[in-house]
Amino acid sequence: MISAALYLSRRSLANATRRRLARLRQPKYLIGFAVGLLYYYLIIARRRAPGGGAWLPGSGGEALAILGLTTILVINWLFGSSRSPFAFTPAETHYLFTAPLTRRQVLDFKLLRSQLPLFLSSLLSVLLFSGGHLTTTRIVRVLGLWLVFSALQMHYGVAALVRQSLEEHGVTAVRRRLGVITVLTGVAVAVALILRRQLPEVQAAFAAGPAAGLDALGAILHRGVLGVIVWPLSALVRPLLAPDLATFAARLPAAFLVVGLHYVWLVRSSLAFEEVAVESAERMARRIAAWRSGRRPPPSERRSKGARRSLGHLAPVGSPARAIAWKNVQAEWRGSGVRLPVIIVLGVAAVAWVASLGAAAGTGIQVLATLLLVFAGMAVVFGPYILRNDLRADLLLWDLLKSYPLRGADLVAGEVLGPVAVLTGVAWGCLLAAFAASLAIDLPGFPVLDRLAALLATAIAAPAFLVVITLIQNAAALVFPAWVTLGPGRAAGVEMIGQRMLTMIGSLLLMLLAFLPAAVVAAVAVAIAGVAGVDGVWRAVPGAIGLTVTLGFEGMLAVAWLGRVFERSDPAAELGS
Amino acid sequence: MIEVRGLTKLYGSLVAVEDLSFSVAPGEVLGLVGPNGAGKTTTLRSLVGIVRPTRGTISIGGRDLDRDPVGAKRQLAFMPDEPRLFEYLTVEEHLRFTGRLYGVRDSDGRIPALLRELELAEKAGALPDELSRGMKQKLAIACGLLHEPKALLFDEPLTGLDPAGMRRMKQTIVERARQGAAVILSSHLLHLVEEVCTRVLVIHRGRLVAIGTIAEIVGSRPDLQGRSLEEVFLALTGT
Repeated sequence: MISAALYLSRRSLANATRRRLARLRQPKYLIGFAVGLLYYYLIIARRRAPGGGAWLPGSGGEALAILGLTTILVINWLFGSSRSPFAFTPAETHYLFTAPLTRRQVLDFKLLRSQLPLFLSSLLSVLLFSGGHLTTTRIVRVLGLWLVFSALQMHYGVAALVRQSLEEHGVTAVRRRLGVITVLTGVAVAVALILRRQLPEVQAAFAAGPAAGLDALGAILHRGVLGVIVWPLSALVRPLLAPDLATFAARLPAAFLVVGLHYVWLVRSSLAFEEVAVESAERMARRIAAWRSGRRPPPSERRSKGARRSLGHLAPVGSPARAIAWKNVQAEWRGSGVRLPVIIVLGVAAVAWVASLGAAAGTGIQVLATLLLVFAGMAVVFGPYILRNDLRADLLLWDLLKSYPLRGADLVAGEVLGPVAVLTGVAWGCLLAAFAASLAIDLPGFPVLDRLAALLATAIAAPAFLVVITLIQNAAALVFPAWVTLGPGRAAGVEMIGQRMLTMIGSLLLMLLAFLPAAVVAAVAVAIAGVAGVDGVWRAVPGAIGLTVTLGFEGMLAVAWLGRVFERSDPAAELGS
Repeated sequence: MIEVRGLTKLYGSLVAVEDLSFSVAPGEVLGLVGPNGAGKTTTLRSLVGIVRPTRGTISIGGRDLDRDPVGAKRQLAFMPDEPRLFEYLTVEEHLRFTGRLYGVRDSDGRIPALLRELELAEKAGALPDELSRGMKQKLAIACGLLHEPKALLFDEPLTGLDPAGMRRMKQTIVERARQGAAVILSSHLLHLVEEVCTRVLVIHRGRLVAIGTIAEIVGSRPDLQGRSLEEVFLALTGT
């Protein structure tokens, strides 16, 4: 079994490397490889830090690591996917499940195969954060991180199996989360009761400085009942934080015990939920097969619970571009989970609440409004990179799109308008909420009318920015489909990193080119408004209109050009389909 | 209805299709057969507008596919071997969406009837991942038939279907031809071609080898008299 797993890993790695090397004969991959190497050189070799890097040794570092690990585990139990990290590929399903192997042997095989990627991740993480030198201390870090990753992966595996099993028994997501929340609240209350006596000591230490505070927290985490509760976490992270090889070796047995217990837990869970595990493997196999055949399986690993209600009715007759946009909005609506919005809303509320504690009246609302503005900005700047239900997803159905009786420009416009509409809604929502929140507080030097002007100007400009950024991303997918990730998969390799960097640089240059004329027009509009006697912040409104009109015009030209590119493109030549 | 003149498609120095000319009249079912790599898929993809021919002209219902692609595509439907569906549109929404793209004014009236005809009415609100392979195929067919196309192109239409599904598919093809549609059917299944097609076009290495009814093709080659279609095909393509 071990030799078979090692053989498969070794040969797969060798063949993948050989294929990547062969691909370098194509200039675009060679250039990408060179840029990728340069990138690694700049972030690893050039950032050589002396010593062991910025690790926090001692109980303070350990306390931080334990808190971090606890957060990761809590988030996973609350919001984690039902997809096991040990899901089998179609080939593994075909060869292993039909082979004369016990279920445990199959699981061992999968566990063994997963170790190489985990080790490489650990190695890369340490190299990235410590400047490229592999000293003894850093080797310790690599091995320590590898242990943490292995235990975490097994923990995720068990959690996924439990979730799947609960799903199989009809326990809804809300009820599952309520159960987890109840358990976690119980633990949190118990920990709070334990900490109550020692909290003043920690607070006093934090008042003296963060390092002293963390040290005090670390000391408490090892005392009494709390010490017993956090022991597994502590045992797991201590080898990672070991200052030298001897200490690392001394801390290893406890860490191995935790990893071993996870292994036993995983094996027992897998055998207990055998049917669930097999079904999960088969579902995964079907998903991968669907992707490879060019169809798009759903991103959710849960079994389908039916479609969410449609967002708006599509009239039988009308602009085809609007039909494409409608389709993409449905995809965003039905494909998005509630996980991220819930985390964001909870996070924003928590930060605002914490900020308001003991602070002057209105501080919480001010923080809330600021965070909402930040989210509006993030929706505009980063949103088009996250929402990809446009050509970046639909080019997987390139041949179907080409068979439609549509002008290329209509198709491109519709594809781009979908995510732009969704992101505009998000940005406007955040801006409006920030404005509404700001009405409850007094902001010296920024009266309500000025805030209204700022709201109008940003609301007018946001869609134009979104159109340009989304168009550039779609243009990259259409013009250089081999350089852009279509669908959810990510190509690997140094040359792909280089290609992505080149694409990013190209996108930035295009954005600069698009925004320069718009900025000039906006500046002229602001100046004219000033001459016409428009007051202060209100001058931004004609500026935003000028900017939006210019960007809109540029967008129309780009759509017309991309439409022609689409009409002339040949999916078989581009994607080898 | 479908007119192809001098269709040529080159991929660099590779000749995928060379100087292919044929026509399909309303009510006719033309079987497109040939060995792997013969150029069948390229031909079909050219006819649908997925691939731009290097040379030659294609006209659908009198509209040139190059000069008036939107007008030509409105009259045709392409059924690929693998149903191509959008992940987040329900069965009914797929039809509504397709109807809008093809400008079907009375799609509200046609959709329920089509869903009933293809036994999809109970799945109208389901997403594609809730459908079986056969149901997905039916949905793709429903989308293709909604605008009542005058030209229908099928690529390996029986792939993945159960016997009942195969029978229904054959009935659909024949029925649409009877109603006046021009049909092109590309398949390796020679018995399907023999059963459904009124004429056969044999293609090999991108070139037309033979075209006509099976009797005409055999008649043009005295050495093939009395042979099965499979033997005729193998003899014509030299495989």
